Amino acid sequence: MIGTTKKPLEEILQALAGYEKIAVVGCDGCAKVCMTGGLDQVKELAATLKEEGKEVTVEVSPERTCNIMHSRNFLNPCKDQIAAADAMIVLGCGGAVQIARQTTEEMGLTIPVKVGLDSVGHMDMVIPGVMAMEQCQECGQCILNETGGICPVTKCAKSLLNGPCGGSENGKCEVDPDRDCAWVLIYNRMAALGELEQLKRYMEPKDYSKMAKPRVLYIKEGRCA
Amino acid sequence: MKLTELFQKKTFVITGEVGPVKGCSRLNGGPPPDYIKEALDIKDYVHAVNITDNQGATMRLGALAASVLTKQFGLEPIFQITCRDRNRLAIQSDLLAACTLGIDNVLCLTGDHIKIGDHKSAKPVFDIDSVQMLKIAAGLNAGHDMMGNKLSQATNLALGAAANPNFEPLDLQLMKMEKKVAAGCEFFQTQPVYEPKQFETFMKKAEKLGVPVMFGMVVIKSPGMAKFINDNVTGITVPEAWIKELDSVPKADYKKKATAMTIALLKEIAPMCQGIHFMPFGWSDIIPEVLAAIRPSFPQ
Repeated sequence: MIGTTKKPLEEILQALAGYEKIAVVGCDGCAKVCMTGGLDQVKELAATLKEEGKEVTVEVSPERTCNIMHSRNFLNPCKDQIAAADAMIVLGCGGAVQIARQTTEEMGLTIPVKVGLDSVGHMDMVIPGVMAMEQCQECGQCILNETGGICPVTKCAKSLLNGPCGGSENGKCEVDPDRDCAWVLIYNRMAALGELEQLKRYMEPKDYSKMAKPRVLYIKEGRCA
Repeated sequence: MKLTELFQKKTFVITGEVGPVKGCSRLNGGPPPDYIKEALDIKDYVHAVNITDNQGATMRLGALAASVLTKQFGLEPIFQITCRDRNRLAIQSDLLAACTLGIDNVLCLTGDHIKIGDHKSAKPVFDIDSVQMLKIAAGLNAGHDMMGNKLSQATNLALGAAANPNFEPLDLQLMKMEKKVAAGCEFFQTQPVYEPKQFETFMKKAEKLGVPVMFGMVVIKSPGMAKFINDNVTGITVPEAWIKELDSVPKADYKKKATAMTIALLKEIAPMCQGIHFMPFGWSDIIPEVLAAIRPSFPQ
């Protein structure tokens, strides 16, 4: 999922300064799981905006706002309420905000679409409802087959491909003593699997052209460019 | 002069280390900057001096400019180059620049993370790692860039790398060293250890790589410094026994005691390795005494 955190209310109010009628849109996908932008948080923000003297024209939370199909299905029926708004605020990831904007444009509406959350990465839930962590950078060249299913590109602070740096100490990272050194994790995993020999292989520099933004996924062709 | 030439002649190699200043070093007819003065203090006792590269991820005068200036003052610099602040184009370009400007030795390092330095919001680069940098540098020495494009003139650089005898698991450290050697590393400088047995364990494995190893010596100047290192510098651990022994004398005698302890340690260490890399942190003046005392322990 895409991890999100709430922007401070001050920042949201600043983004909405000068706009009186607000459409509040959430996302019942990842943001719901992060407890930042599901329908509950949409209602909370709407109540706060009302306390601040704003008028809320609609409170809605598509199943996955980042998917244009869902955004259309949820937002098109609310077109009149959205058209009545001076601005829309989206409690979703940056992708959800831009798909919501696309949806308003498809409706022929030209209203500012603001973001109420900060997107903080591709997160995997490791303790349900408590903690998610970044484990994949979507680098376009997965090397998990070579590293015991543990990603050094993401879990090593320096994304090192050929082993640990000199800053690793007692199995912990130089950047954060509470964080495991990815390379010690990889080494221990490969040792347990009896595959340490494989770890001795030189890893070539990554091909960062596979991460050149903005990437486009052609689903039917199974191709990313 | 390439350090590799000294190792080939079986010379026991001595190096020092200085850190460029936070500021410009144009001389304008004035005295040399502090890091040059520090290097000049040990000029007659070392074969070369490492010039650190934005050490501790703290922005300073570039290591290449400082290396060139060091050479102009008659010392042999070892240009430290890290992966933290340069992508693969910049690394290759700086290695070509280094050779062009008369640098003969480079130490290829990963680099401390941005987060421990003074520009914490900077974007860390780490486009390539130290093993890959060594392989790329070896390619430049062979006359081609990392894409295989021919160079109009090849570099001629001695390629060094770092190693950490403190690392656990040690075999993982050895695995990385093995990769470095296969990539083109011609000598190692280590992090310090303060127990000869620990270094012996390390060297029994490292000597199989067939590449000269220089023992890194950080002189512990006070119990406070040891505590600071243990609390803040990853990769180095000063044992409690070392701290206790240093603390057994009055503060005024720390320097004398630290010198004696350094000598005792290096007498045991020197026979196991091919050189010593001093990181004296302002106590360059003890190096002559230390060297005079340990010279008989150098391997023949």
